[in-house]
Amino acid sequence: MAFEAINKAGYTVVSMDETRLDAAISESFRIYLFDQIDSGSDRVVIDLGSVRFMDSSGLGTLVATLKKMGGQGALKLAAPQPAVLDLFNLTSMDKLFTISPTVAEAIEG
Amino acid sequence: MDILIVEDARDQRMMLTVVLKKQGHRVFAASDGHEALDLLASHPTIRIVISDWMMPNMDGIALCEAIRQSDIGRYVYFMLLTGKSDRQALVDGINLGADDFVNKPVDFAELNARLNAGIRIIELKASLEKKIQTIEKDLESAAETQAHLLAEPRRIQQVDFDWYFKPSRILGGDMFGYHALDEQTLSFYQLDVAGHGVPPALFSFTLNNLLSEGSSASLLKESVSEPPFYRIKKPDEVLVSLNNQFQARPEAMLYFTIAYGIINSRTGSVTLSQAGHPPPLWLSSRSRTIRKIAGGGVPLGMMPGMTYDNVTVDLQPGDRLFLYSDGVTECENRDGEMFGEARLESLLAETFDHSIADMVRRVERDIVGWSGADVFMDDVTYLVLEWQL
Repeated sequence: MAFEAINKAGYTVVSMDETRLDAAISESFRIYLFDQIDSGSDRVVIDLGSVRFMDSSGLGTLVATLKKMGGQGALKLAAPQPAVLDLFNLTSMDKLFTISPTVAEAIEG
Repeated sequence: MDILIVEDARDQRMMLTVVLKKQGHRVFAASDGHEALDLLASHPTIRIVISDWMMPNMDGIALCEAIRQSDIGRYVYFMLLTGKSDRQALVDGINLGADDFVNKPVDFAELNARLNAGIRIIELKASLEKKIQTIEKDLESAAETQAHLLAEPRRIQQVDFDWYFKPSRILGGDMFGYHALDEQTLSFYQLDVAGHGVPPALFSFTLNNLLSEGSSASLLKESVSEPPFYRIKKPDEVLVSLNNQFQARPEAMLYFTIAYGIINSRTGSVTLSQAGHPPPLWLSSRSRTIRKIAGGGVPLGMMPGMTYDNVTVDLQPGDRLFLYSDGVTECENRDGEMFGEARLESLLAETFDHSIADMVRRVERDIVGWSGADVFMDDVTYLVLEWQL
């Protein structure tokens, strides 16, 4: 279970070495993200490039992180793959997050 | 404690038996691995095995492996007797599941100490096994409560309802219901609380309470001061209220998707609002077409202040609405392939001439056949309504 955070142009870009963001790892991921925020990251991009499948707990983790930030700073989603994009469309995640096709566009925008 | 000694050397076997009996244990003895396995099977109270390594027919390590791979129904604490030169045997033994080892020649004070440690572990395991049994019984009883909350398939005014509900692993977060709001309006809904187990299930009971006939809350219908002195809320208003009332905490993201609708039983006009739920399907009886009712909407409980859309669908006599949870389309077969929307729609296209009861059974058969299993990974729920003039 590998989560990684790097700094890029003032953003904390978080990525993972996982193809499934589901019940098995979503709680650990949530704790990891909350730690980033508690340590001061207020501009976060989550790189979903490697995620082929996301379930309700994975989605819950993304929204929980947004709620945790309480309207301060920014939380963006980057590089969602087809199945994940379908889930985002079904649940209107574009109303909650800026969703970009690449990390670069997320940082620029 | 009931202890089994496995030792081919008679003197050793008898000495260990005497010493352990003196300490108040009940002792069984076997001279080889096969005899040991038979004794373990016929005496389920034996929970500790002290076994020599070098034995004919089946050695101590093979015995340990056999015990760990078998299905004897309880944890057996395994102690291996090893000589000083058997370091590799010790490592192999522990890797294959032995819990502890005792050097030969046996120092009885040490044996006793290690045995007591083993007894502490066995008692912990026994208490854990009992707690798990209690929890499972509670879960079963909660599942029964959940099943009893579901409305019976029936006709209300001009609308027939039928459904299929199979929660995964006992407790799930799926729920649905339907009832009359007045003499010409019915409400119906299907929701899916994210996750499995007790919190989603309890939350689904709460929601069922609010959305059902007996509810005194003004969620679906409110009093007004002019005749007819009540107003049926539009579906989007219901979703907005629920969303604002049940905001999740970031540490425990309990949220749910829902499709909620009202139907005018005289005209067949349906108004529906959705929040992140699989889009309901409209089955047109005359044209034999299947249409997805446009979906979207942020699931409820995620963010306050969200708004939702109302969609109106004018049913013709004989038309049906098919609402389902994602456990249906995400049901996997043995190769990990999902049932999917396309397969569901093709299947439904074959049921226009079925009664809704037969349609429900037909879908069930296909999904069970697809998954090849009796237990589903996620709750499988679907609700059908049919309107007649």
